[in-house]
Amino acid sequence: MRRLGSGLVLALAAALLPTSQARIDSVAGRYRAQEEVLYLWSGDQVKRLVPGFESLAADVYWLRTVQYFGGQRLFAPDKRFELLRPLIEITTTLDPRMEIAYRYGAIFLSESPPLGAGRPREGIEVLEQGARAQPASWRLRQDLGFFHFVFLNDAEAAAKVLVEASQIPGAAFWLRPMAADLLAKGGDRESSRRMWRQMFEQAEEGIIRENARVRLQILDSLDLRDGVAAAVAEFERRHGRRPAQLAELVTDGVWSGALVDAGGVRFSYDPGTGRVSISEQSPMWRPK
Amino acid sequence: MGGRVSRTLAVAANAFRETVRERVLYNLVFFAILMTLSGLLLGQLSVRQDEKILKDLGLAAMDLFGTLIAVFIGTGLVSKEIERRSLYPLLAKPLSRGEFFLGKFAGLAFTLLVNLAVMLVGLLLTLLLTHRRPDPGLLAAVYPIFLGLLLTVAFAMLFSTLTSSTLAIVLTVGVVVVGRYADVIRGMRDVAPDVPPALVSALFAIVPNFSNFDFKARVAYGDAVPAGLLGDVTLYAALWLVLALGLGLASFRARDFQ
Repeated sequence: MRRLGSGLVLALAAALLPTSQARIDSVAGRYRAQEEVLYLWSGDQVKRLVPGFESLAADVYWLRTVQYFGGQRLFAPDKRFELLRPLIEITTTLDPRMEIAYRYGAIFLSESPPLGAGRPREGIEVLEQGARAQPASWRLRQDLGFFHFVFLNDAEAAAKVLVEASQIPGAAFWLRPMAADLLAKGGDRESSRRMWRQMFEQAEEGIIRENARVRLQILDSLDLRDGVAAAVAEFERRHGRRPAQLAELVTDGVWSGALVDAGGVRFSYDPGTGRVSISEQSPMWRPK
Repeated sequence: MGGRVSRTLAVAANAFRETVRERVLYNLVFFAILMTLSGLLLGQLSVRQDEKILKDLGLAAMDLFGTLIAVFIGTGLVSKEIERRSLYPLLAKPLSRGEFFLGKFAGLAFTLLVNLAVMLVGLLLTLLLTHRRPDPGLLAAVYPIFLGLLLTVAFAMLFSTLTSSTLAIVLTVGVVVVGRYADVIRGMRDVAPDVPPALVSALFAIVPNFSNFDFKARVAYGDAVPAGLLGDVTLYAALWLVLALGLGLASFRARDFQ
């Protein structure tokens, strides 16, 4: 009898657990775990705590970085990514050879919100730390050059870093011509496209490749947008007025393609100014 | 001579059976679960670091579990026999204290070797089953871990002959932890220039440098560990083993069991 009573209590407790969890979730929110706290802000502090297990600790912090980034990106309402930089720094202090932490960390930090933290200077700092920690890695310098060009529009700095990368044994052959190209053309859209294409072709499946794919689509969208804007100008020249809607370009025959960007979202159009732009609702949109 | 060896081996075999009976190898079940779950989950979570993390995790588990076994079983090897009074009839037989002491050490050493070997096979299998290359280079990290564990057992046995088993555990953990910080002691002059260099050198000399046995990160990145370096590490471990076991044996011989 006593045993039966104990069994019933255990069964009741087990049965009530999901309800109890659901009640907590309904008040505290299902994704409250994303409200992260960092108790130790320095990689050196963590290193002192785990002698002999630094590499494993770096893995744990890397997993935490990825989870934090994903959590902020998907669930956080304000997407501040404030722990991103310290998490990357702790990871790379514990394991200075973890190349992926520099490369992905720089992307996480540099991409514009809501896709990333929108802090490209910090992304570049992370890559510079990586390049110092791994002088033999031409890929880190290649990324550093790309980021200087793409995020800071600094073709000169980008070219300088790419030349340095090209001097590292085993570096890709195209780094030096690309640097020369950047210096000659001062950073046009074609140079940007070549960079992202190289990044796309080199990268294995994963965030770096996916990011490069989206970047190439954005460049295609900008080309399309320029084409539509030229069609608007042609329409105005022919009719002495701007089209009221972009659809008029098609009916008039000055534009034969679709009026959407590479993400399939219609371009925004202001009939007052004639300005054509990528819609802010589009995944191809990036702030200036 | 042959009789001595066979008596020592008999004690070793007995110590091995005893440690297995103490369910030491249960940690292997935990290790198997850890590896299986890691193999299944890491691909999703780690963004292209899964292989490296699996290796890190496997090697760290070997090091950590091995150290726990070495400390907790090592400190009890001799002291339990004394507490249970089972030592007296043993020593009354034609069995010297040296044979008993070294036999116990060899028995636990063999248990740790079996433990590491099974864990290594488990790690290689996990790599294989998750479509990664089972890297034989991992042996270059596992071997020094084994040397570090032998040293831990030697210190555990030394302290257990000097004091109670609880205090022996504290002292052994102390030596292992301080030994893992040995490089910090060596670099003490950089952060505390007022500390006399002789004191720093003395501190560094009396603590075995356990970081010498740590090749986990190197091996996880696929770097080769030169055979000469492994030879030097083996010699370093052998010298410390001679010291720790020698002192332990001397202390054990000097103990009065009346």
